[in-house]
Amino acid sequence: MGVTIQVEGLTKRFGSMTAVDGISFAMEEHEFFSLVGPSGCGKTTTLRCVAGLETADEGRIGIKGTVVYASAERIDVPTHERAIGMVFQNYAVWPHMNVFDNVAYPLRLKRASRTEQQRRVGHVLEMLGMEALAKRKPSQLSGGQQQRVALGRALVGEPDVLLLDEPLSNLDAKLREHMRVELKRIQRETGIPILYVTHDQLEALAMSDRIAVMNEGSIHQVASPIEIYERPATKFVLDFIGSVNYLPGELLRVGVDTVDLRVAGGATLTLPRPSFVPEAREILLAVRPEDLVLGESVPGSDLRARVELRSFLGNLCEYRLRCQGHELRVQTGKEELVPEGTDVVVGVRRGYLLERAAAQDATARAS
Amino acid sequence: MTALRRLDSRLVFFVLIAAFVLVIVVYPLVQVFLRSLLVDGSWSLRNYEAVFGRPRNYIALWNSVWVSLAATALATVIGTLAAFVVQRTDVPLKTLLRFMLILPFAIPPLFAAMGWVQLAGPVGLLTQAWKSLTGAATAPWTIYGAGGIIFVLGITKYPFVFITVAGALQRMDASLEEAARTSGAGTGRIMRDITLPLVRPAILGGALLAFVSCIDNFGIPAVLGLRVQFQVLTTRIYEALTIPDLPLATAMSMLLVVLAGIAVWLLGKFEGRRGEHAIIGGKSIRPHIIRLRGARPWVALALFAAAIVIVVLPVFALLVTAIQPYYGAPLNPETITMRNFEAVLNSSAAQRGIRNSLTLAPIAATILVIVTALLAYLNVKAKVRGAKLLDGIGMVPFALPGSVIGVGMILAWSNPPIGPTLYGTLWILLVAYLMRYMAYGLRSCRASLMQIHDSLEEAASTSGASRLRTMRDVTLPLMRPGMIAAWVLIFMSAYHELTVSALIWSARNETVGVWIFVMQDSGFPGRASALAIAILPIILIMFMITQWLSADRSAI
Repeated sequence: MGVTIQVEGLTKRFGSMTAVDGISFAMEEHEFFSLVGPSGCGKTTTLRCVAGLETADEGRIGIKGTVVYASAERIDVPTHERAIGMVFQNYAVWPHMNVFDNVAYPLRLKRASRTEQQRRVGHVLEMLGMEALAKRKPSQLSGGQQQRVALGRALVGEPDVLLLDEPLSNLDAKLREHMRVELKRIQRETGIPILYVTHDQLEALAMSDRIAVMNEGSIHQVASPIEIYERPATKFVLDFIGSVNYLPGELLRVGVDTVDLRVAGGATLTLPRPSFVPEAREILLAVRPEDLVLGESVPGSDLRARVELRSFLGNLCEYRLRCQGHELRVQTGKEELVPEGTDVVVGVRRGYLLERAAAQDATARAS
Repeated sequence: MTALRRLDSRLVFFVLIAAFVLVIVVYPLVQVFLRSLLVDGSWSLRNYEAVFGRPRNYIALWNSVWVSLAATALATVIGTLAAFVVQRTDVPLKTLLRFMLILPFAIPPLFAAMGWVQLAGPVGLLTQAWKSLTGAATAPWTIYGAGGIIFVLGITKYPFVFITVAGALQRMDASLEEAARTSGAGTGRIMRDITLPLVRPAILGGALLAFVSCIDNFGIPAVLGLRVQFQVLTTRIYEALTIPDLPLATAMSMLLVVLAGIAVWLLGKFEGRRGEHAIIGGKSIRPHIIRLRGARPWVALALFAAAIVIVVLPVFALLVTAIQPYYGAPLNPETITMRNFEAVLNSSAAQRGIRNSLTLAPIAATILVIVTALLAYLNVKAKVRGAKLLDGIGMVPFALPGSVIGVGMILAWSNPPIGPTLYGTLWILLVAYLMRYMAYGLRSCRASLMQIHDSLEEAASTSGASRLRTMRDVTLPLMRPGMIAAWVLIFMSAYHELTVSALIWSARNETVGVWIFVMQDSGFPGRASALAIAILPIILIMFMITQWLSADRSAI
């Protein structure tokens, strides 16, 4: 297994603002690797440094064994000499060229013969289901079609890696879902490694082989989607990926398999012991909505709450509960609808523990 | 009841504005068109035959075309190069450079022409310097004739190209260039394959504006061409009217209309195609800036030197001429004199000219801003049917050469079927300025109204504000910067207007622009320069206000 992209100690500053703060990661061959985080976390800057569109201040970047940037050795390969393909958020399809010419452009720069261009562009357009539109101008295309042109242009030169900068964020919800599957299919077909930037955690979970969660210029965790969701490394990851309820409490006893705690106004809970248990007595219990069971008792781990708001979401139903002054979010199937204002029992299946004093800090350990 | 009243008030305004546009714009144009086809009361093409029957007339037409094309080519090269350097390189002092590069807009073309005569004419400063440096008896150039006209037109009109191209480069989505970069294209390839094709419509658009402005110009060919019998249409019309041969002037005006019409038609085509280039907005990313490295100070120096040659030198020459005892006197600090200033500022004609211009310009600006703001409101916000058509008609004079407006004024107001004979009074100048600058007001007011999203006004009405209250509290305050900008622009332009005024002024009804030209034309370059220098500060201040206002507005 070779390494596609190797980033070591990458730092990029804009004036006094440090956008990327010494991050490192390595992408495997054929991997779909996502950088995910809120806007301003440095994910796009990282991608642009890999592309060479921004010049990093410190660190090393390697693409398929070639060092394209190294601050120590003063190596900085210009963008157009890096073996990359990139898709921009706004597609950046050239309005003065038709679909064929847009896609053929990288081949033309490599002085590919006319027949070679025809063959390879034809192949890419076919893969994208765009062969009938080859002569169209971009202004005659829908957003989704422009997106495919941009993708085709990035793929046609058979680059070492595909860089995607929030490519789906300008599409409507339905099309976005479709393109998600499409992108994954294309990656399987071509085997091309993809470095993908998104702020949409669902997108990252659904598509990636591995995810790097970023915040304020640092990487908090690099792991598979399941790992990220189930065992978030920090409070930030826990917060950012999926949703979570917080209840302040006290740690009473730490056993081999279980922990006992008292939360929110006196209820005592016995929960499976999480992988991280803080030293402190004052803790914060974090519970995913799906780990709360509405109207069903979990022996030894029940809370009492009142239904404040009910939102019907089609495939499921979401509730806002009030439990001793704390808000809880719970989701249930649509079969068992509980009316607003009802007092209910809420079972807690499992949760994460955070040190309460440290919980202000997003980098606090979560599991 | 209230709905009915609202409808009524809009209708009243619409009718009033329609009447204004008909009288000010349509009536003179119809006059020019019809009278060009009338000979002694019957239909005939004889007036046009007169144009094409006499060489001096059709040569003037041909000269207008080729001189304007050549000057446009020069303006396009300067404007495009300057725009690329300012927008896409790391040249230092960009803000100052940008300001200097659009400054020729502030210098009246007549002043530039006079300045260049005083620099490069037979006894000009540069000519004298050349002679004393080389010992030659004559300079290897002449400022009079086609070459001089092309040169001065080119360096006064290039800001049209500079502004449109710089704007297009600034608005251009940086990711379009980055996409080429990630496709494997180097800087040169990107310029050729992506950047240039994308700004081509802007280059052509700016070039056409420059062309229309060259065709329109009177001051430069009058100062640099008449003396050597090099005629263009505008100077030929001026001569025809001094004979006076009104039918000939009318027919030649129609030819100017045709020339300008072709240019505007082309402009429309390019602007239409520009819509095709509308790009979905993404993250705004700074465009790639080319590092000039070692060349950085030299490029800056070259641009500043060019800006100084174009803007500062001619004004300096005017100043030198104004303070010299006689034109062409050797530079000598001991002979500096205020005689020219005293002579010209004490003459009653110059005083009247200044007073007249200072009366006409603000009146025209005020009337036009009120009328065009109302019309823009009816068109953009109230969406009254017919207002769009009125707006379109009001825009016509924008492309209309001033000579046509001048001839139209003479025809329309010499012996009108109804209303007073304005010809021979000061008020014909006012009516002419109203026609000539209506488009300035319309453009500015329309643009600022279109920036006000309907929801801003809707939010006021849903908060309980009446229509009038909404207009007072929301619409007008948001429109105000646009209205002020229009007012200043119209004031500035009307203050030193020459092309139209030169055709329709009369004794005792001079304007300051006219009087400078008359002084220059009758062999008093010192006094002409003194008067020019005297009024230049107010023009420059007005220009700085327009720049400051537009910078302020784009910041919103």
